[in-house]
Amino acid sequence: MSLTEVFHGRRTSRTPELLVPAVLGGLILLYFALPFVAFLSRTGTANVVAGLSTPESQTAIRNSLLTAPISTAISTVLGVPLAYILARRSFPGKRLVEAVVILPLIVPPVVGGAMIITAVGRFTPIGAAATAAGIPLTDSLVGVILAQTFVAAPFVIITARAGFGAVDERLEQASRSLGYGPLSTFWNVSLPLARGAILAGVILTFARAIGEFGATMMVAYNPRTMPTRIWVDFITGGIDAIVPLALALLGITLAVLAAVQRFGRVPTVIER
Amino acid sequence: MRLELDSLTHRYGNEPAVDDVSFGLESGELVALLGPSGCGKTTLVQAIAGHIHPTAGRVLLRGADVTDVPAESRQVSVVFQQSTLFPHMTVSENVAYGLAARDTGSERRDEVVSEYLELVDLRDQRGAYPSELSGGQRRRVELARALAPQPDLLVLDEPLSALDRTLREQLRDEIARIQRETGVTTLFVTHDQEEAMTLADRLVVMNDGTVSGIGEPRTLYESPPTPFIASFLGRSNTFSATVIDQQPLTIAVGETEITLNGSQKDVSTGSTVTCHVRPRDISFRDSANDGANLSLAAEITRVVDIGTHYDVTVRIDTGDELVVECAGNPPAVGESLSLALSERQMTVFGPG
Repeated sequence: MSLTEVFHGRRTSRTPELLVPAVLGGLILLYFALPFVAFLSRTGTANVVAGLSTPESQTAIRNSLLTAPISTAISTVLGVPLAYILARRSFPGKRLVEAVVILPLIVPPVVGGAMIITAVGRFTPIGAAATAAGIPLTDSLVGVILAQTFVAAPFVIITARAGFGAVDERLEQASRSLGYGPLSTFWNVSLPLARGAILAGVILTFARAIGEFGATMMVAYNPRTMPTRIWVDFITGGIDAIVPLALALLGITLAVLAAVQRFGRVPTVIER
Repeated sequence: MRLELDSLTHRYGNEPAVDDVSFGLESGELVALLGPSGCGKTTLVQAIAGHIHPTAGRVLLRGADVTDVPAESRQVSVVFQQSTLFPHMTVSENVAYGLAARDTGSERRDEVVSEYLELVDLRDQRGAYPSELSGGQRRRVELARALAPQPDLLVLDEPLSALDRTLREQLRDEIARIQRETGVTTLFVTHDQEEAMTLADRLVVMNDGTVSGIGEPRTLYESPPTPFIASFLGRSNTFSATVIDQQPLTIAVGETEITLNGSQKDVSTGSTVTCHVRPRDISFRDSANDGANLSLAAEITRVVDIGTHYDVTVRIDTGDELVVECAGNPPAVGESLSLALSERQMTVFGPG
């Protein structure tokens, strides 16, 4: 038998090449969808509107809608420049910086919360000074923001870094040679070209921040945000009690995702 | 002098990239910086444009030391091998980009953009995005963008290497035309010697981080100052010989003694020299080429028909193999013949 015949013989008996990955991927998708569907199927038994109109729920929603955007903004404003430096420069200690960036991701949130308390709690020098100045850093909305930022900021840093990394450095060099300094080059070239990745990071950070529970519970159990309220409702009323707030939380996150994708959409060519 | 490099040296960590490079460009000149890949050309471009700070040495523009001046204040435009058009801007926004930085008023800016798009023959593509253009069009927009702010120096870093052959030749001619029309001082960086020789007023040939020779293309080609240039510019044959006498210089190539009346070389008797001769300057001896004053015995080892001519490989009695370009009727393999070459077309390099 000639080599060509062997080749053709193999080809006819070949199974679809993506069968195995499709089966494995299907299993995990099924596992994602199952709890989701099961949970949503209980919405009929609970009165969502009534659940959301209690004063406790209203306060929690207001607190979350106030803190999560601020945490996201802080993470973005401080994180994107850091992401740019990490994408563009190598320097002594870069590994250490990178490790610090992912630290909040690998530390369990509840432990992260405990760490925040040891750093800025009421009886630490920083916390005491802040409390004296009238801005308590724990059990306050500021505390919520601290906890959310700690846990959520790495997402925007990591995605923005990948986005800047995908921008050819020579585009920046071309901009410099055409008469623009480093800052205006960043603003005119690097930022718009990395925009898609940065927006993806902003969405992830916002979703993480508004859903943050572990660290928030440690740093600021009061005032209640939606996740901490959900926990309290669950303790007292079980699954059905948390359905309204859980749905609202999901709804807000999806709305933000849709809005950012719609209004922040990168015009045409960049996603070549 | 428009651009001057003064003993420029750059190392990446401990890795030397360029070592003690000095050369200059006169105003309005088109100079090709030619060398094989990895010889340090791109490092020089980066140093000239201001994207790296050289380890040692100086860069001077119009006589002023700009070594510490950032890229944005140098008035040096660069076109890279890969497109650096801003994908989120239209063609005219790209061309206007450098003008806006130099505070050109918006009305004047429009005029200049039109002028330069006209120059590169792309007036109808103003509103297009770079992704909608062909490879050749993108190159031309980049040229327009680089030229619009009227830079002191235009650096083209392998601008044609990513294009296919036909387009490359077409754009090469266009670059020559644009350079003539604008008179912009241009440094054309390439590894392609044909490109360099066609375009440039002068060549700077680099090898392994150092300058191997500077001069007009024809001069460098016909009397190469170094063995590297002899072998890098055009096709070349090398064979070794031993110096057996001075005044006149006499060398032994295997059994054959050759007397070189015109060559003044500072080589001592007994040392080994390297001789370079181009394939097209060797022929097979017959009555017609008595003008060629040197003869070497050779045996034909291989004949390749490459269409326009035959490449005939011969072995001379030193064991060196030479290629002879032969227009028609090639000799047969195994035949013993006498090669005819003239002293004028042979270059002798001393040891080291």
